[in-house]
Amino acid sequence: MRAFVYDRPTAVGEAVAAVAADPQAAFLAGGTTQLDLMKDGVWTPDRLVDITRLPLRGILVESQQLKVGALTTMEQLAAEPVVAQRLAFVREALLHGASVQLRNMATIGGNLLQRTRCRYFRDPSVSACNRRSPDSGCAAVDNVARMHAVLGVDERCIALHASDVAVPLIAVEASVLVDGPSGQRRIPLTEFWVRADEGPSIENVLGHGDLITEIDIPLLPAGWRSGYLKVRDRASYEFALTSAAVALQMDGDMIADIRIALGGVGSVPWRAREAEDMLRGTHVDPVRFEQAGRATMASAFTVPGTAFKVDLAVRTLSRQLLTMTEAPR
Amino acid sequence: MTATKPELGTWVGKGIDRVDGPHKVTGTAPYASDVTLPGMLHAVVVTSTVAAGTITKIDTSALLTLPGVRAVFTHENFPRLNHSPDVLFGEAPTTPMQDNRITFHGQEVALVVADTVQEATEAARLIEVTYAAETPLLDPADGRLETLPLSPDTSRGDTEAGWAAADVRVGATYRTPENTNNPLGLMGCVAAWDGDHLEIHDTTQGTIALRKTLAVMFGVPESGVRVRVPYLGGGFGAGLNQWPYKLLAAGAARELGRPVKVMLTRPQMFRLVGHRPDTEQQVRLGAARDGTLTMIEHRATSLSSIDFLAVGLITSGTPHLYTCPNVATVERTVRLNRRYPTSMRAPGEAEGNWAVETAMDELAHELGMDPLELRLRNFATAVDPADGKPWSSNAVVECCKVGAELFGWSRRDPRPSSMREGDLLIGWGMAAAGFFAYLPMSQARVTVYADGTAAVRSAATDLGTGTYTVITQLAADLLGLHPQQVDFQLGDSDLPASAQSGGSGLASSVSNAVIDAVAHLQGALLDLAGPDSPLHGQRPEDVMCRDGALCRRDDPSVRVPIADLLAGQNLVEASGDGRVRPPDPEAAAMAQAGAYGARFVEVAIDPMIGRLRVRRVVSVTDGGRILNQKLARSQIIGATVGGIGQALFEDTLTDPGTGRVANGTFGDYLVAVNADVPDVEVVFVGEPDRYTPAGTKGIGEIGLVGVAAAIGNAVHHATGRRLRDLPITIDQLMM
Repeated sequence: MRAFVYDRPTAVGEAVAAVAADPQAAFLAGGTTQLDLMKDGVWTPDRLVDITRLPLRGILVESQQLKVGALTTMEQLAAEPVVAQRLAFVREALLHGASVQLRNMATIGGNLLQRTRCRYFRDPSVSACNRRSPDSGCAAVDNVARMHAVLGVDERCIALHASDVAVPLIAVEASVLVDGPSGQRRIPLTEFWVRADEGPSIENVLGHGDLITEIDIPLLPAGWRSGYLKVRDRASYEFALTSAAVALQMDGDMIADIRIALGGVGSVPWRAREAEDMLRGTHVDPVRFEQAGRATMASAFTVPGTAFKVDLAVRTLSRQLLTMTEAPR
Repeated sequence: MTATKPELGTWVGKGIDRVDGPHKVTGTAPYASDVTLPGMLHAVVVTSTVAAGTITKIDTSALLTLPGVRAVFTHENFPRLNHSPDVLFGEAPTTPMQDNRITFHGQEVALVVADTVQEATEAARLIEVTYAAETPLLDPADGRLETLPLSPDTSRGDTEAGWAAADVRVGATYRTPENTNNPLGLMGCVAAWDGDHLEIHDTTQGTIALRKTLAVMFGVPESGVRVRVPYLGGGFGAGLNQWPYKLLAAGAARELGRPVKVMLTRPQMFRLVGHRPDTEQQVRLGAARDGTLTMIEHRATSLSSIDFLAVGLITSGTPHLYTCPNVATVERTVRLNRRYPTSMRAPGEAEGNWAVETAMDELAHELGMDPLELRLRNFATAVDPADGKPWSSNAVVECCKVGAELFGWSRRDPRPSSMREGDLLIGWGMAAAGFFAYLPMSQARVTVYADGTAAVRSAATDLGTGTYTVITQLAADLLGLHPQQVDFQLGDSDLPASAQSGGSGLASSVSNAVIDAVAHLQGALLDLAGPDSPLHGQRPEDVMCRDGALCRRDDPSVRVPIADLLAGQNLVEASGDGRVRPPDPEAAAMAQAGAYGARFVEVAIDPMIGRLRVRRVVSVTDGGRILNQKLARSQIIGATVGGIGQALFEDTLTDPGTGRVANGTFGDYLVAVNADVPDVEVVFVGEPDRYTPAGTKGIGEIGLVGVAAAIGNAVHHATGRRLRDLPITIDQLMM
């Protein structure tokens, strides 16, 4: 058996120091991704620093934002009444993710750091994986791709960031508080992830020993609505083929302001700023909705198994925009 | 002894709870994975990472220094085994680790044995195997592939004449992908030797076939091999074959002199215990303007592995369901560097029905005829059109009519895309289904005791389908006892030999053996009646067991307690042995019928995002005599879930360059989940079948047949789009 050291500190500083001191150490929270990777032999840390005893659990409701402890579970965040009232699309994305058993284990901090579901990444018998082993190639590009990304990717890596909740979180411009060897800092989620086409083996800007302690989620202003549409092959317990998180403020039949992010399509949760710009201040117009989607997907890199996602993403966004811009019934 | 038709109905048919339910829900039912023996070692299978070629080197010396590792077996040191016997469904797929040849990606190349499964797993991960890889044959269109006939071609009439005479013709190509059986229970075994005696706790669906295989391949007497499988976590056919892992465990246990346990992992379940093979099928149908079929041609090709062929049966139902003078079937398979195929629930029928029943819908559309009406016009209800013999039973028309009534089929607007709800397109589809008749040999022994209880023994297996329960009910009726007074013991090859649970044949097989055994038991008990007994002089067929006594059929008040019969001869028990009897002359003149069915499905499709939901299923089945309404309904619901999976999700993918399974986990290979399955309305129609005394036809598989075609036909009705390749996915449904 491959032995590893298991620590369970009770203070953040202790945890950060323990990981920072050992290049082969890693944090462990809910374990819903990491333990799978360890069992598959894809990830072999020598030291696991279990952070579940750290005081990072709970939600603080402020007037303009939620301060969510990094160890808050997906179910706990979904059950928070303010999330239902002011961040409906966050709640919907949470409840469409994983299964209730997994959501009771998985933490919000860990969700943002989940690794790609790419089967080639997760099978150590496959040697070509630039994400796992830099410059080894990409087996997914030449083989069976479906649950893969089309935005922020190229022939070196088509790994998808499969989180649902990260999609609305990037739309509302949440940020994370990070404690690390060099102190505390705040990172907006819009600057948190690294696209695969900017370097397949680097997934985010965290350094070794950096620990997410809190996620700050701005509440949508009064008068905004939001919703999350997830499209997948089966009705439950599956990652998105495509998804759209939309928050908007209507002024009559005019879209006064809007936030859009797409899931299931990007190597990172995909903020669709060009679509927002095309739609902000415009009247409800299905043709324009589709154009906004097409503009977002214009830079797509596809392989035969993922080509349909471009059209599906456009349609997913259009459908969600139609739903969100309907007059409340 | 002539089997008299038994009187059944006090317990048979009733939807009583599973007799094994309490053991299962309290966790006390012992599965193979639960078995732990003193001194037992754990073994992990190592599999190849190339699909074709040879092993040039396996370095195992370093592994033996790892903590807990006891042995590493490869083709260099694994014992040479005898050639496998031809048991049910043919020979063992292959004998593992006899040479260095690789024929598929994921093939067994080594077995690591250690004190714990964790130590064995880690050592297995570190093993280094060097291959001389060759370019594998992976493309079904590759001209170098060896093509073999899979079942005999069949033909009646003149299909070309029927094609020429037709007023309306359809013809197309249909495809079904590889599906993996995936019972929830992982397959595996514990093998333990005592001299030349082998005992194996396994997940086989057939104890006797495995016993023979092990005895022959290890060169030991069949009498000394014992296969035990009291409980199974499902199988769907994956437990029918004599898979290499069993031979590896038995071989390692013999070499090491200690019990060895092998449990496969979920990813290995996608590679090492078979699958439903891919098919490509061509169907041509011709009909007169009034819908009368003038010809049916059904050609199918399935994919096999290099060493082990697919089961076939894809075209087996085609000559029998419809009265048509001109029918031809052709079935081929090609050998590829792919993993072993096997039977998966409704083997062949599920794939063949998809093609033919989709084509029938296309024909109805071309004719401008209701698809139900087209079928009713053509069903072969009285005689089997293949040989002209009268069916032993056939309620396919009733299946269709009852189903149509329950579903409300008459309210269907036949025009595609005509039924809408808001943004949703609603589609109604139907398909007919048949399943081949299959009555394998089983034996059973029924024993009665002085305390009034009885035991039934047969080496059958219960997949979880209800074998324990239905045979208990049957025996209770035959013996005039309460089910709690009957103990059905199965899952042990030391019991009277039984068929496997497979081919929808086990319940019929064991039922008829038990009926025969009870007849012999009654004869044996009558022999115990002395000259003073009120039963003296009766014939065996004139007596029966009731409430712990033997009594006259025509006057049950004339009775002798079984305890008295036994005591009179200084006996403590009496037994009757039975087996499946050849059909009586009346039955032999019939065409033995299998089950029939009709499936009606409503789908709702959101054409913008391609989202399909199955909203309603009405499933009507003619299964002959139904032994337990509740368990039978569960069988049909479970099969319907499998059919929804076949239609919409299940698709085992292979990397085109390497032959590796691309999605061999439950995260990547989709099966239907609860949210995909609507309420399923299950109805049984028909009468007890006349071919056997039990009157059963087997319902384990028929429920799956026709579901996919009904869904596909509903998709056409909803969208106007004819989809011929399974599974039907979002990318095909965006409109």
